[in-house]
Amino acid sequence: MKLRLGRMFLLFALMLGLCAGPAFAGSYPEKPINMIIAFTAGGSSDVQARIMQKYWNKLGTESWVFVYKAGAGGAIGFGEIAHADPDGYTIGGVNVPHIVLQPLAQGAQFKISDFAYICQVVNDPQVVAVRKDSPYKSVKEVFDAAKAAPSKIKLGLVGPFSGHHLMMLGVKSTYKLDFAEVMYKGAADQNAALLGGEVDVIFGNVNDVMRSLDQLTILGVAAEKRNAFLPDVPTLKEQGYDVISDIRRAFVAPKNIAPERLKFLREAFKKIATDPDYLADMKKAGQPAEYMDGAEFEAYVQKKAEEDRVLLESYGLLKK
Amino acid sequence: MTDFLLPAIGNIFEPLNLLLMVFGLTGGIIIGALPGLTATMGVALMVPVTFAMDPISGLIMLGAIYAGAIYGGANSACLIRTPGTPSSVATTFDGFPMCQQGRADEALYASLLASAFGGVIGTFFLLFMSAPLARFALKFGGPEFFWLCIFGLSTIAVMSRDNMLKGLLSGAFGLLVSTIGIDPNAGYPRFTFGYYPLSQGIEIIPAMIGLFSFSQVLNLLGSDKQYIAEYNPRKGAFMAVVRKFLHDCKVNLLRSSVIGTVVGLLPGAGGEIASIIAYNETKRWDKEPQRFGTGVHEGLAASESANNAVIGGALIPMLTLGIPGSAVAAVILGALLAHGIQPGFKVFTATGELAYSFIVSQFVVNILMVPVGYLLAKVMAKILNIRLTLVAIGIVTLSVIGSYAIRNSMLDVWVVLGFGLIAYFGGLVGMDTGAMALGIILGPMIEENLGKCFHLSKAEGSLWNVFFSSPISIVLIVLTALSVATPYLLEMKRKRQATCAAEKDSVHA
Repeated sequence: MKLRLGRMFLLFALMLGLCAGPAFAGSYPEKPINMIIAFTAGGSSDVQARIMQKYWNKLGTESWVFVYKAGAGGAIGFGEIAHADPDGYTIGGVNVPHIVLQPLAQGAQFKISDFAYICQVVNDPQVVAVRKDSPYKSVKEVFDAAKAAPSKIKLGLVGPFSGHHLMMLGVKSTYKLDFAEVMYKGAADQNAALLGGEVDVIFGNVNDVMRSLDQLTILGVAAEKRNAFLPDVPTLKEQGYDVISDIRRAFVAPKNIAPERLKFLREAFKKIATDPDYLADMKKAGQPAEYMDGAEFEAYVQKKAEEDRVLLESYGLLKK
Repeated sequence: MTDFLLPAIGNIFEPLNLLLMVFGLTGGIIIGALPGLTATMGVALMVPVTFAMDPISGLIMLGAIYAGAIYGGANSACLIRTPGTPSSVATTFDGFPMCQQGRADEALYASLLASAFGGVIGTFFLLFMSAPLARFALKFGGPEFFWLCIFGLSTIAVMSRDNMLKGLLSGAFGLLVSTIGIDPNAGYPRFTFGYYPLSQGIEIIPAMIGLFSFSQVLNLLGSDKQYIAEYNPRKGAFMAVVRKFLHDCKVNLLRSSVIGTVVGLLPGAGGEIASIIAYNETKRWDKEPQRFGTGVHEGLAASESANNAVIGGALIPMLTLGIPGSAVAAVILGALLAHGIQPGFKVFTATGELAYSFIVSQFVVNILMVPVGYLLAKVMAKILNIRLTLVAIGIVTLSVIGSYAIRNSMLDVWVVLGFGLIAYFGGLVGMDTGAMALGIILGPMIEENLGKCFHLSKAEGSLWNVFFSSPISIVLIVLTALSVATPYLLEMKRKRQATCAAEKDSVHA
C-alpha cells in the first residue's frame, strides 16, 4: 500500500509538472489561472484549449491549470465558471448554443448574463451529410423528400437540446417538412449510425465529419460562407435555404471580474487567436478557428438566446 | 501491407520505443490497479506528453498504457475485491475467492496470462481483419444494441442462481439508479430533487467503487480478521497456471477473446460488458457451472482475456472509420487527430508505417506485459501482508481521491459512501452487488437505444419491424432466451442425474 501511495504522489507530481509554466511577477495575473473545461480531457474543447495554452505560455505570464468539470452536456462546468470567484483566477471555455439552451430548456443553474465574455475562438458550422452511396445528391433533394413523405427520412442528431436539434426545429418550422429524428449521445455514435445505414442523413459538425470524409458526402454547410475545410461544399444559402447553424466556442470569466483584468484577458486572447502559427495548429487539429471579440460575441449570444427562446416556445419545449 | 510491416517492426524494436512500452505498461498497470483511476484517465493524462514526441512513439506509449491499465484492474479485483477499472467487475467473482484461499499469486498470474492472451488475439483481428470487422460493427444500430444490453442483463439469471428474485431486484434497483439525471432522449432532468449536480446522473465508476470497494471495507472491518487473506506464495505457481491454461482453458480463452473483440468493435460497448458476457458464456458451457464464483481459473481466464481483447476490437473502427469503439479509443483518436493523422481505410496506406507500427507494437506490448505484470504482481500481493486496518484506511482514501478525481465533483464522493452503505446492508439481506452494478452499467445504454428504436419506428411504421427485423437482433434474442433458461435447464439436468444416481444406488443396494 505504501508503495502504491508513493506512486500516486509521483503521478500527481508529474501532473503538476506538466502544467507548470514560467512564473512572472506583476499585478495581474500573479498566480496560475484555473481554466475550467466543461468536457472530458482529450475532447474537442480540451484539444482547442491546449493549443491556445501553447501560445499563452509564450506570452511569458502565469500558466493555466486545467480543471475538468464534465457532465450534463457541459452544464456542470459552465455553472462552475458562472459561480466562481470573479477575481480573474478562474476562467473557462463555453459553447454556444449549449449555454443558451441549457438554462432555457433544462433548468441549468446559470444564465448567459452570468458571464463576462473574453472572446470567441471557434465557429464550427453544422453540415448536412449523407453516405457516399446515398440517392440524395443535394440538400434540396433531402428536404424535398422529407416534405413529400413526412417522418420517413431518418435524421441523426446529437442531442437533445443541441445545435443539431435547434437546426432541425428551425428547418422543420421554416420549410414545413418533417423528419424521423433519432438522438445520439455523441458524434461518434451518430457517424456510425449514418455509415451503418440506421439513419439516412445527419446534421453534423465540420470538426466531426472530417474524421470520416472518405465515407461521406457533405451536401451543404449551414454557414454564411463556405468552410475552409470543405471548400467545394456549397452553403445551404447557395442552395436556396437560409439556414445558419453552428457551434461556437468561446472563453469567459465570471460576470463581476474587474474591468482591467477582463481587458488584459481580452487582449492576451486576441494576440493568441490572431497568431498565424496558432491558426496553422488549429487547422492541423481540424478546428475551424474564427475570432470574434468579447463585446461582439456577447451581443451575438443575446441575439441567439432570443431567437432560440422563440423557437423552443413554438414547440412547447421551454422549461417552465 | 507487407511494405509497411518490415519498417514497422524496425520501429518497434528501437530502444526508445521498447522503453516507452515498458514505461507505459508499468504506469498503466498501476493506474488500472488503483480504484478510481481508469484506463481512460491514464491515457488522457499522457496525451499532451505525446505532443512533444514522434507520433509513432507517442501512439505506442498510449497503446501500452491502455493495455496495462485494463490488465491492472485485475490486481485490485483479485486482492481487495475492487475492480480497478469497470472492465474487471467479473474478475472479482473468482479472483477474490481465490485470494481468500491463499492463492492470490495464482489469481494474479491467471489474470495476467489471460490478459496477454486476449490482447494478442484482439490485435490479431485488428491486423488481419480490420476492414470486414469494421463493416460488421456498423450493422449494430439501436435495436441491436438494445438486445445486446438485454442479453447482458440476462446474465443476472445465471449469476444469482441461488436466489433469482433477489438478483432481479438488485438488477432492477441498478436500472432505477441509472435513470437519475437528464433523460437521454427527451433531455429533461429526472430524480434530481432540485439538486442540479444530480442532472449529470450517477457516474458508473464512483457507484462501482462504492458497491465493491467501500462495502468491502465495511465487510472486512466487520470481520475479526487481521489480514484480508492469508497469502502463501508457492514456487511454481506461475508454471502451474500456464499448464492449467494449456490443458483446460484453450477453448475458453479463444471464445472469450473473440467475444471481447466483437464487443470492443461496437461503439459504446466496452470491456465492462465484454467481460461479463464472456464470464457468463464460459460458465454456461462449463460442465460444472456451479463451481464458478468459488475461485476457478476458468472464470478469471474468461473475464480478463475478454477485456483485453476489447482493445484490439475498439481500435478497429477507430482507425478505419474514425469512430472510436471505447472511451479510451476516443482519447487515442483525439491524439491521432492532434498529430494531423486522419483515420479512415486509407490510414493503412497513406500513413501505413504509423498504423502498422502501432498495431504491431500491441503484440509486443502484450508479450512484454507478462514479465512486467509478473514483477508488479509480486509487489502488489504484498498488500496481503499489511494489517487489515491499514489496508482499509488506504482503500477508503484511494476511493475518495479516485472518485473525486473523475470529474472533480463532491457528488461522486457522496455516491461512493451512499452506494457503499447500500451494498453493505443490501449484502446482509442477500442483495447481489454484481447484479446492481450490471443494472447501473447497462441501464443508460438500454434507455438510450430503446429511445432510438421508438424514434426509428416513426419512419418504419411499426415498432415490431424495428425490434425484430435484423438477423443480429434475432440471434441476440435467442441467446437471451437461452441465457434465461439456462438455470432451469441445469436444474433439470441435475435432478435427472440425481435420480439416475439414486436409481443406481438402489440397484446396488
